[in-house]
Amino acid sequence: MSNVKPEDTSSLGIGTDQWVEQHEKRIGNRSGLVGKALSLLQRIPVFARYGLLLGAAFVFGALVQNEYLLRIAVNLGVFLMLTYGLNIVMCFAGLLDLGYVAFFGFGAYQYALLSSPHLNTHLPTIATIPIIVLSTALLGLLVSLPSRRLFGDYLAIVTLFFGQVFVQLVLASDSITFPGAEESKDFTGGSNGIPGLDKFKFFGFEFTSIRHYYWFVLVVLILLTIAITRVDRTRIGRAWRTIREDSLASESMGISINNLKTLAFVTGAALAGFAGAIYAGVQLAVFVNGFDVPLLTLIYAAVILGGSGSIPGAIMGAFIMSVLPEILRVPEYSEILFIAVLALTIITLSKSIKKILLTFVALLVTGFIGLLIFQLFGVKRALDETWAIGPVSKIMKSWLFVPENQIFWGNISFVLLIAAIAYYTTASKKIRMIALPIIGYLAIFLWEVRLIANPSVTRQLIIGALLIVLMIVRPQGFLGKARVEVL
Amino acid sequence: MLEIKDLTMQFGALKSINDLNIKVNQGEVVSVIGPNGAGKTTLFNVITGIYTPTSGTVMLGETKLNGLSPAKVNRMGVARTFQNVRLFLNMSVIENVMAATYARTKSGLFASALALPSSKGEEKAVRERAEELLSFFGTRLTGYRWGEPAYSLSYANRRRLEIARALATDPKVLLLDEPAAGMNPKETHEITEIIERLRTEKGLTILVIEHDMHVVEGISDRVIALDYGVKIAEGDFEKVATHPDVIEAYLGRGTSDKK
Repeated sequence: MSNVKPEDTSSLGIGTDQWVEQHEKRIGNRSGLVGKALSLLQRIPVFARYGLLLGAAFVFGALVQNEYLLRIAVNLGVFLMLTYGLNIVMCFAGLLDLGYVAFFGFGAYQYALLSSPHLNTHLPTIATIPIIVLSTALLGLLVSLPSRRLFGDYLAIVTLFFGQVFVQLVLASDSITFPGAEESKDFTGGSNGIPGLDKFKFFGFEFTSIRHYYWFVLVVLILLTIAITRVDRTRIGRAWRTIREDSLASESMGISINNLKTLAFVTGAALAGFAGAIYAGVQLAVFVNGFDVPLLTLIYAAVILGGSGSIPGAIMGAFIMSVLPEILRVPEYSEILFIAVLALTIITLSKSIKKILLTFVALLVTGFIGLLIFQLFGVKRALDETWAIGPVSKIMKSWLFVPENQIFWGNISFVLLIAAIAYYTTASKKIRMIALPIIGYLAIFLWEVRLIANPSVTRQLIIGALLIVLMIVRPQGFLGKARVEVL
Repeated sequence: MLEIKDLTMQFGALKSINDLNIKVNQGEVVSVIGPNGAGKTTLFNVITGIYTPTSGTVMLGETKLNGLSPAKVNRMGVARTFQNVRLFLNMSVIENVMAATYARTKSGLFASALALPSSKGEEKAVRERAEELLSFFGTRLTGYRWGEPAYSLSYANRRRLEIARALATDPKVLLLDEPAAGMNPKETHEITEIIERLRTEKGLTILVIEHDMHVVEGISDRVIALDYGVKIAEGDFEKVATHPDVIEAYLGRGTSDKK
């Protein structure tokens, strides 16, 4: 005889469940300022959001004359296709595929071989794209068949290996000697890549301008977005999600999980291959180092940043991860972005308005104390013109002390900053309040003294910092739903 | 309907199920009882293909089930619920049920992506079927709850949803692993009625693992008691509940004599 007491339902309305009631409240309170901003966004209906996005894309394509901007937009589109594909593989079906970017490379190299003077083949694009999509899908099938019983870490290792095999094969295939042949043949150009590819050409219409590619990618993306959303909502998409949720229960409900995993893997691969073909057609050259781990991390970052399993999230993640590096190329922009990220971090970490103001005041004071200490010890000051270039640093001229020996002091502050952040993550609340302005000061100091001169390093650092901050503040990504694992 | 012959399931040196014979007739409700570790859930796992038995056979009508994958066993017409409730927690209530119709539906990747009429029609039918199955539990799982994520359900509702999900696979035989665990007396009574209705309205053959003797008494045509993987008693509730071996298994050696 069980003697469980009936739930106390006196305080609840009719037809409501205690758990549901609390759940709504928790979701409302959970995410602080970021959550509030998002709930504002949520009020705009879905159609209107996509409509706005599409409208912006049309206006951009019609009005923007700057070829560089159009090129960034096309790259964003290709990147978004990759994000969609990975979303299917990783977020819908839950497969950790670390060789994903090899399919992208496979597609790009195929385009290079099928339409370039390299092997002197010039197939029309209407033929190459289906060939590439199908053969990349086939390659995906070949890779997934032996690994279809693998899950999680094991699949990750196998696919990572596959990705590296692809890179090495391409590098080595610049001199293949067939049995019986006298001379070796160059297939992939090795580390020199394959330059001089044909432009896309449909029924005699050649894509002479980047704008043509822009419209092409936009149409492809619109169709893909519709298709993926539909699949996600219907039979196959549901079945994929059940695998991610609980594969044993899924199998016990008659769902053939191995076939579905293969299907997800193959679909993702085909999309990546398609994206590769477009990429090659835009760049008009392929190099193997573009299809290696760095790109893979960017795609993963985009998927995670946007929120796994969410299509709008994928769009947002792809936008951030592909446009952000471009913005960060320009020191003035990257400086503004850096300060903005820092301010946002302080705001989200301090939570209440009183604490935020307090932290900023403390940050100001820390700066003057730093100024005082440096002058007390008679450290030589650098000339303003050597560092105060950007709009923000011009304002900070009299507040921030930039020593002349920038490398030395920069390195010291780097070590100090890392130590301070490491300490911060384990410190108690009171110490955190004191540590936060000091960390903020160290970050600004390091930025102005050392990092601004090395944009290539800072780009990676900023993206990394952004990811870390986001994962602390909102682990499910910008537009992702918080997942419940076991209750 | 379901016949288990000379079944043995051995893990290393441990025989979880030892030479077990069980026959469940069409339309019958049979309860399996026994103390913890008696091999009840292992029996379910063997029937549904999660474990491959060391020896013996599991027959559903004329079909041999052992050796088939869990998915194939399910397609043959055996559906189950789990002792520790394994729902697709982050999917909505109705999606949990809709997903289980996977093996009974056809539309593929392209049909869905292009929203072909066949896919649309199927989707509508699947949704209607899911709504119908959820309505089977009265108002417990209807209305606003359809769109709620499964994790927002109470424990008792999760158990109900799991039954609805199993029903969506169109089973002939239903295996329920402790359907009344964690329920209050009222809910326990309700689940007893549900099981009876599953038999009469859906014409299912049902095998139940249950610890609550009120439930066992209320639902069973026949009761089978297991201990250390061996069948120690079989028959109607009265006979099994008073069987000395059963009392001994539950209360310890010597207790049945002192009574």
